[in-house]
Amino acid sequence: MLLSSRQAAADKYISAEPLDIIGLLREAHHPAAGAVVLFSGEVRNANSGKAVDYLEYEAQISMASKMIREILVEAKEKWKLNIAVAQHRIGKVAVCESAVVVITASAHRSEAYAANRHIIDRIKHEVPIWKCEYFTDGTKEWGGNCNCHTLTGDVNRHVYDFYVDVKDEL
Amino acid sequence: MKVKVFAKLKDFFEKEFEVTTPVQTVAELQRHLIGLNPASAGVLDACRFAVNDEFVDPEFELKADEYVTVIPPSSGG
Repeated sequence: MLLSSRQAAADKYISAEPLDIIGLLREAHHPAAGAVVLFSGEVRNANSGKAVDYLEYEAQISMASKMIREILVEAKEKWKLNIAVAQHRIGKVAVCESAVVVITASAHRSEAYAANRHIIDRIKHEVPIWKCEYFTDGTKEWGGNCNCHTLTGDVNRHVYDFYVDVKDEL
Repeated sequence: MKVKVFAKLKDFFEKEFEVTTPVQTVAELQRHLIGLNPASAGVLDACRFAVNDEFVDPEFELKADEYVTVIPPSSGG
């Protein structure tokens, strides 16, 4: 079942409240981790040559939450991370505010960077979350859709599935 | 069955509505929805469908009381 927005506010992965970036970072230190990488995806003031007023995010919350959890579990395993955290905001998000935060911690920085990039790519492309851009001229646009299937020919395959992991090459 | 749509699809359909026409599979439901609003075809063709929070294939057989969510391409982040 879909959660109400009140319940969503308490969800570990989807938040209707402003993301507490500093609070999340504070919880992301680990004695075995020599590197902590934090990515914050923020609302910028212009897109497609138009001035952005604000964005509004919508999610299929129960699916989105489950998928983010699975993505984190997989990344943690693949890159031997000490910590993997991600939280996405829903509702109205203002310019300069964070829409999504990903934090990864590992023994050395290359794993934390690579895993962080992988996690945010998958969240943006695969997780059922959508943004609607509201421009200052009064227009709105559901935007930035994943269109990887036009390149891969499969709605379940994305461009980064074809990236070569540099570490695997060495 | 009950159908719930998201994002851009709300420009074409109610957020949540009932489909009483008998449709057997996800592919049939997709065609039925396009029939209801042909302008939605461009979006619906790129959508995935989910039942009980899991993505299902076009061949998936739908029960009469199914609750189906229609998932447009993601644009989070």
